[in-house]
Amino acid sequence: MTALPDKPFVPDFTLKDVEGNTHRISDYKGHVIIVNFWATWCPPCREEMPSMQRAWEQLREEGIMMLAIDVGEDEDTVFEFTASYPVEFPLLLDTDSSVSEAWKVKGLPTTFVIDQWGRKVYRAIGGREWDDPELLNQVRRLKQVP
Amino acid sequence: MRLISLGFLFLLLAGVTAAAVTVEVGENTGLRTWQWVHEGVSLRLVQRLPDQTRAYLLGRGFPAAAADEAATSCFFGTMFRNDGTVPLDFDLTTWKVVQKGKETRMFVREHWKTNLQENAIPKAARIALHWSLMPTQQHFEPGDYNWGMMVFGLPPGQSFDLHMQLKLDENPLAVTISGLQCAPEKLN
Repeated sequence: MTALPDKPFVPDFTLKDVEGNTHRISDYKGHVIIVNFWATWCPPCREEMPSMQRAWEQLREEGIMMLAIDVGEDEDTVFEFTASYPVEFPLLLDTDSSVSEAWKVKGLPTTFVIDQWGRKVYRAIGGREWDDPELLNQVRRLKQVP
Repeated sequence: MRLISLGFLFLLLAGVTAAAVTVEVGENTGLRTWQWVHEGVSLRLVQRLPDQTRAYLLGRGFPAAAADEAATSCFFGTMFRNDGTVPLDFDLTTWKVVQKGKETRMFVREHWKTNLQENAIPKAARIALHWSLMPTQQHFEPGDYNWGMMVFGLPPGQSFDLHMQLKLDENPLAVTISGLQCAPEKLN
């Protein structure tokens, strides 16, 4: 992951997940959050989903959040996808891609790590093995920042 | 995809830079793949049959006529990677498509945005195509990569040279990949 030296604050959003629940990024202030932008047709997005689930199984007990924002697809498409790729973290729907654009996402997948103050601190363009211990520790260390 | 190497490696001179380009043919698909590699940076271009692109666009809500017109614009599936040690920047609007001495530009996201709005293509279909194209400008730190389609605006089966401009750690790099070929309408 690349450290973002200017640590820009993230734009707030209100998005529904595939189960109809509403999420605002501001609801998670005070938490470290992994925010992944993806789509079902995107091969590296699909490839990294299982490792994101494995990472989530470790991180959720530690108070670190994970959100995956599908770009430009509808609820049925994403719901169908979860039959092959079951994940337990929230899958949000950015159907008109306005949030992705506001967050300055250019290609998929793109993932940001957000600190407790709502600032982007790391960015990864392209898929990663999210349960890689070194990568997880990079995320965990953010919790230790006073 | 399992590939058979044709076993030839081209060294192309582009400006002052030697570009290593390999060409392979898919054993099952018959489609060609070109891969350029330089100091850990690579670009892989895989032919897409017009029928593949037609099916993709129809599935995303394009009307049949618009899907057909777009599908015959020379789509490639591409992967751009930075596995090197320095940042990479590219801007597809600076790249040139050269065919028989005639120079044109790629059909990048902004081209499609204008073109599809004017032709009243449904918004969901436009969004789907936008995100499935390689970003027009991108900055890759080491380890970053994108998949996405590139479109060269030529009819099926046409050959062309691609003149690319990149920046590696802010240093300009000019590269030419010669003899790229749009997939034909049908494979023999």
